[in-house]
Amino acid sequence: MNDISEAFVSSLGLILFLDAELLEIILLSFRITFYAVLISSILGIPLGAFLASTHFKFRNSVVSILFGMMGLPPVVVGLFVYLIFSRSGSLGWMGLLYSPTVMIIAQVILILPIVCCLTFQIIESLHTRYHEFFRSYRIAKLKSVIAYIVDSRFELTTVVLAGIGRSISEVGAIIIVGGNIDHITRVMTTAIALETSKGNLDLALGLGIILLATAIVLNSFILFLRGKYLKTPGSTI
Amino acid sequence: MASEDTQININDLSFNIEGKTLLHNTNLSLNGDGITVLLGANGAGKTIFLKLLTGLLTPSSGSTTFQSENLSIKTRAFVSQEPVILRRTVLKNMLFVLEKITSEKSTLAKELLSLMGLDKKEHQNALTLSAGEKQRLCLARAIITDPEILLLDEPTANIEPNSTTLIEKYLIQKVRSSRKIFFVTHDINQARRLADEIVFIHNGRVIEHSLAENFFENPKTREARKYISGKIN
Repeated sequence: MNDISEAFVSSLGLILFLDAELLEIILLSFRITFYAVLISSILGIPLGAFLASTHFKFRNSVVSILFGMMGLPPVVVGLFVYLIFSRSGSLGWMGLLYSPTVMIIAQVILILPIVCCLTFQIIESLHTRYHEFFRSYRIAKLKSVIAYIVDSRFELTTVVLAGIGRSISEVGAIIIVGGNIDHITRVMTTAIALETSKGNLDLALGLGIILLATAIVLNSFILFLRGKYLKTPGSTI
Repeated sequence: MASEDTQININDLSFNIEGKTLLHNTNLSLNGDGITVLLGANGAGKTIFLKLLTGLLTPSSGSTTFQSENLSIKTRAFVSQEPVILRRTVLKNMLFVLEKITSEKSTLAKELLSLMGLDKKEHQNALTLSAGEKQRLCLARAIITDPEILLLDEPTANIEPNSTTLIEKYLIQKVRSSRKIFFVTHDINQARRLADEIVFIHNGRVIEHSLAENFFENPKTREARKYISGKIN
């Protein structure tokens, strides 16, 4: 018990005195999460909006596949990306394995379906209200998709936050493709796994506290936004 | 009721869904101007008929033809019973339906909002308007597209009396002379106030079509007489 107490106090010290190693790991985690969520949002929000507002032959199949992909096992995604980017893989020539870039790619594969499907659900309800109006005024498809996104902007903020939460806490895929290399691909989750196995509890706990705080702040913010938007006229949450 | 200036011909128009016929073979020749009120009880088929005219529904058979080249699907504007308001300001709602926003159109938007009593609310979130104000905004938004035909589906059904008065006054004084209006209602008094001609629909069939004064003074069918006397709701 004493060891744990000491480790906890020591971890608080690392946080308060902005330990360089701790800070480096945190910053890399946030950088990878930022790019992964940015790319997933740029691709996933318009795609979700398009699918929610368009009927075509295989639409239901596409939507079913995307919803199924929301539960992709991270280690399987990690393995899949590893095989593609390993030296003998189809994209091995790019030399991206064990780099932050390939970690972002793996994260995008995991987050994109989540962003896309949550967007789909939000915009589908808006489409029920708007589609007759858009048709009667012959609003162009691109303009209507933009209008769906603009008019559900508050709800979509919670989608982005959900993506951040999923990304920053992910470990299975990025440990496979990133390799958990010190100063290069070591992020909070992979560092916690490693330092715990080494018995270096103070650094593991310090990172755990930061990760937990991030998750709590994000979820609190989502709840705050939900409460705020529920009071907003036209809310689709 | 065919006259020399008849411009809209409806030929064998019908609409079926899931084996049910909601509008039976309809043949009509309608005036190209003035207000045509589609009158009938709830569920009679008025909205179906209006949406077929708008092009929002595809007929199971038949067609609608317009004699004038000015009257095409591109020059029609539809206002539904439930106002559809975008989550943005009143003015931005007005401008959304335009392909190009010019300074003339912006000025026109403000003028129309003023006519609808919404000039002081142009920068307000449109979703915070009252039901009547929303419907007035929808009407102004339809007018700014400069439609030859205005199709209104019970636009005053769920709104306060002062908004109903304002909309009726606006339609009669400002719109009727320059555009063709189709107005769906089940309110006989409103039909008396607005209609130049009446299309009376009962159980999915157009059973009477005549000038408004003839319809109210001398209805030809038993159903129309019962409806006017309030025995069919």
